[in-house]
Amino acid sequence: MAKWGMVIDLEKCTGCQACSTACQMENNRLPGENYQDVLFYKEGKQPNPTLSWFPRPCMHCEEPSCMHVCPTKATFKTEDGVVLIDWNKCIGCKYCMIACPYGVRFYTDEKPLHEPNIKAVFKGEGDLSWNPPYKGPQQDATHGVGIQPNGVVSKCTFCYHKISKAPKGTPDLDESNPALVEFVPACVRTCAPKARYFGDLDNPKSQVNQLISAKKGVRLLDHTGNKPQVYYLTGSGAAGGAIPSNRSTNKA
Amino acid sequence: MTTQVQSGGMVNTTLMGGGALLVVGLGLALANLMTGGHASFNSGSDGVTWGLPVVNYVFFALTSTGLTLVASLALTFGNKAFYPIAKRCVFLSLITLVAGFASLALELGHPFRMLFAVPLNFQVNSPLNWMGVFYAVFLVLGVLKFMKLHASDWDSDTSKQVGLAALVTECLAGGMLGMAFGAMAMRPMWYGTLVPLYFLLTAACTGGAFALLMTYLTYGSESAMPEKVRALVQGPLPAALAAVLGFTILVMGYQTVIGLWSNADGMQVWDHIVSTPWFWIEAGALVAAFYLLVSRSSLMVAAMLIILGLFINRYEFVIGGQLVPLFKGTWVAGMISYTPSITEWMLTVMAFGIVLAGWAFGEKAFNLSDAPKE
Repeated sequence: MAKWGMVIDLEKCTGCQACSTACQMENNRLPGENYQDVLFYKEGKQPNPTLSWFPRPCMHCEEPSCMHVCPTKATFKTEDGVVLIDWNKCIGCKYCMIACPYGVRFYTDEKPLHEPNIKAVFKGEGDLSWNPPYKGPQQDATHGVGIQPNGVVSKCTFCYHKISKAPKGTPDLDESNPALVEFVPACVRTCAPKARYFGDLDNPKSQVNQLISAKKGVRLLDHTGNKPQVYYLTGSGAAGGAIPSNRSTNKA
Repeated sequence: MTTQVQSGGMVNTTLMGGGALLVVGLGLALANLMTGGHASFNSGSDGVTWGLPVVNYVFFALTSTGLTLVASLALTFGNKAFYPIAKRCVFLSLITLVAGFASLALELGHPFRMLFAVPLNFQVNSPLNWMGVFYAVFLVLGVLKFMKLHASDWDSDTSKQVGLAALVTECLAGGMLGMAFGAMAMRPMWYGTLVPLYFLLTAACTGGAFALLMTYLTYGSESAMPEKVRALVQGPLPAALAAVLGFTILVMGYQTVIGLWSNADGMQVWDHIVSTPWFWIEAGALVAAFYLLVSRSSLMVAAMLIILGLFINRYEFVIGGQLVPLFKGTWVAGMISYTPSITEWMLTVMAFGIVLAGWAFGEKAFNLSDAPKE
């Protein structure tokens, strides 16, 4: 069984947000609530401020604190290493949002992050939080895929509706391979500078494994012990993409 | 020894006042929740996830633990001086827990799903789960203990065993609530192995304060109290409460200084906390309450000051741990601005209404001043 993971090359990332937009479209997300985001950090002061950016999906941790705190096991880890939410079990206690060190979980039953309130324009049917004009994947509540219902928490699924259909034993889901392109997560597939790689972390022949080894891949907030399955390649750090040292933005 | 059932005091006034708070709070909160859902709260994914309703829950659940601790002084540890308030404390521990649960239930996305989803999918690693189990078990044991006391069974083996089991589960529940926060290593404002102990210490403060306040409300004044009750509220009760409050003030002082001193990520919130007037109101209230307790004067005011100070403290703790955002970049401010909405405040009003009206009902229906005969 594969252990899916992602590598993001910060030397290639231009902060264009195409990944965030693709994620938003693929997963029926609202502005400001897309599972994948590129965070911008302004540090230092004039005349020498620096602007850096940081692409941040769910880390799909090996030891996910969000899963351990979930009282109903609604958050679970699949055999292929993906952290998902069963919306039928979620009680909306939001403890997972508290326990996630990376802030990548969303509760939709709240004030809109951005106006106008699109949910009020495209009102959801039944329990669903809204009714997007373009609908992405089929609704799969047990894997947290589709339009988010009210009263539950959602998060990045590594586009589970795609990767779970990939041929078994595939070391990498490479968007440049026509045979695999439909199984590639949306953010990886759309990344113009090819800063993202997706593959089997347990397969020594996978490109993700080789990149982590050759370019000294690092993980965000490794001291928390969550052991993310998303690795970052930092290189010289000259390109602008950088791992923030902490979560605070105003440390001057 | 028996104490006379009081029909005077402020029971009727409190029943009406508490009932009004309950009706207004619950009515407005339900109206807003049914029309706007949880969007009528000011909590959100981009900032404070657990808002004022969780503060209410923590405050009242721990008060329940504290009241059980006060009741146990007589019922488990045999300190006879505390018998005149023991039955009242057991009843209040049940009512305050109901108030906390009510606020939490209206905050959850799917409170009814919780009833079957938790037992069917029990996550043993989740502190929240164990806290829920212990509080639920206590609710049963507390009701059993109260039924025993109401049947004047104060000293039988069964009554004592039920009381001891209730005390143990309450301590475990309060401790687990502390662990729910203290285990969050990713949030240094909360993280710490001694948070459960801090929760139990402060629980004893609010438990003692409610015991004192409600005893005064029962009789109206010290002159109206039976001799043994007066002796208790002028002696062991304020003395014990002053001791616990004194330690609490010390712990809070160290917490604040450590928070201001530390550079750990997220601890910047302490600069914000001490810059608000609420912190100084809290400090002033608790220090003034300590003075009043030690000098044995205006004890009802002292009890209310402790309740005010500790409520602010719960707010600072629960909200403060979330004010420095988790990896949101420049999309959100470095320090989140959170003010509870009217709906959230209505849940606070509702919870206090439940406690006040529930207690007054108990006084009228169950003779909470009862104590064992000599």
